[in-house]
Amino acid sequence: MMLDIRNLQMSYGDEPVLENVDLGVAAGEFVSLIGPSGCGKSTLLRAVVGLQKPSAGDVRLDLKRREIGLLFQDDALLPWRTARDNVALGLRIRGATKAEARRTAMRWLESVGLGQFGDRYPRELSGGQRKRVAIAQVLALRPKLLLMDEPFASLDAIVRHYLTEDLLGWVDEEDLTVLMVTHDLEEAVAVSDRVVLLGNGPRAHVKGRWEIDLPRPRDLLRVKEEHQFAVTTRALWNALSEEVRTPTTRKRPEPETEEATP
Amino acid sequence: MKQKQAMFWLQVRRATALAVVLLLWEGISALGWVDPFYAPPPSAIGGAIAELFADGEIYGHLEATFGAALLGLFLGLIGGALLGFIAALLRPVAELLEPVMAMLNAIPRVILAPLFIIWLGIGIASKVALSFILVVVLTFFAVYNGIRDVDTRLVERVKTLGGGSWTLLREVYVPSVVAWVMGSLKVAVGFAFTGAVVGEFVASSRGLGYLLAFAQSTYNAALTFALIVLVLVFVMILFGLAGALERYLLRWKYR
Repeated sequence: MMLDIRNLQMSYGDEPVLENVDLGVAAGEFVSLIGPSGCGKSTLLRAVVGLQKPSAGDVRLDLKRREIGLLFQDDALLPWRTARDNVALGLRIRGATKAEARRTAMRWLESVGLGQFGDRYPRELSGGQRKRVAIAQVLALRPKLLLMDEPFASLDAIVRHYLTEDLLGWVDEEDLTVLMVTHDLEEAVAVSDRVVLLGNGPRAHVKGRWEIDLPRPRDLLRVKEEHQFAVTTRALWNALSEEVRTPTTRKRPEPETEEATP
Repeated sequence: MKQKQAMFWLQVRRATALAVVLLLWEGISALGWVDPFYAPPPSAIGGAIAELFADGEIYGHLEATFGAALLGLFLGLIGGALLGFIAALLRPVAELLEPVMAMLNAIPRVILAPLFIIWLGIGIASKVALSFILVVVLTFFAVYNGIRDVDTRLVERVKTLGGGSWTLLREVYVPSVVAWVMGSLKVAVGFAFTGAVVGEFVASSRGLGYLLAFAQSTYNAALTFALIVLVLVFVMILFGLAGALERYLLRWKYR
């Protein structure tokens, strides 16, 4: 296992958000984590990259922390740095010289289709373009494991479709292992080898796992015509509905925007 | 292009309005409707300004006021930024400084002028001190709040890219603080001049504030107006420079 989470418990104050979460991701796998809003999906990613300490349990990594790339929900680019310098930032942190970092940054900007936009500030880019810069920033560090937190939540359907398609291409090219948090069921089933359902919080834990036995790379439009896509989506839909409907007594809801799922 | 043209015509309309007001004022004076002793016509004010420059005496006064204001501004910006930075990063310092600064912020700080004159004399030091105290409080809060409101997403982004404290400081905190300080730079320029001129007004032997006190004691309204216009012009020039600096340093925001 490249990433092996055992009995993980995460708390805010005294209140456990996640409890007894077990989740393994093998090298080369694409795993999606879905669950009701505020159940702690993002918290789990924070534990993996070390932004937040677990209150119990283990996060075992078969790689160095620096080999993990994290793509945030919002692009979180430095507004005072150009696209090129934002991409170069991670490389600079890892010891590249300024010129070296900038050259590599420009190469990555070109490969995400933003070769002419190196000198633009984030404010001067569209939402989709900023996402691409953020992707270039992460990929430029050549991670082995890519964690994504609802990477395309804020984008409109068409931009989202093409960006997802491109991203899948880069995942294959770079031979990346992926753990993606999303609440878009169809997206999860369409792109993943496995979908893991996290239950309602507090004390959320894994409620089910679905293998999606379709070969990758997949055609994002075609895959939706597959029988297995329909069956798995339906099963996940039912499971997730049950979680959402289960009443919970939550003292401190995590603010998170909820999107309507078809 | 269209926007530039609109800007141009706006300026033309404003300049015209100003010219009309000045002409009316001049006309009313000429007709004897107002007493020029209280409201001297623009021509008399212009004459007073010309006179100030003609004998060259004004330069010494300008130098005194500018020196005090700019030194106070400079020290106030540096001091406020340093204190704000330290307070934002060290909890105990914040606990001590915040109430003091909040109190200084609440009072009209020019009431400290007499005290500074008692302590530092009627020379330039008391004027610098007054400018400084006006600017330092403003800058302190800009920096202190700026750092505490730094976008945590940016902090986490840099951390997950592998950045340590030094990188965070350089890439996130300092640029955030610069943005906040630039936002209050124009106000700080105004404050610095207020400090210098009020300090001179209270007690001094040089400076525009000294001339103002002199004009007041001799009931010379034309000279008073002339000095007001001078301060206005110089502060406007500094505003322009501050604006240009802001647009340059925050080009990521304005371009």
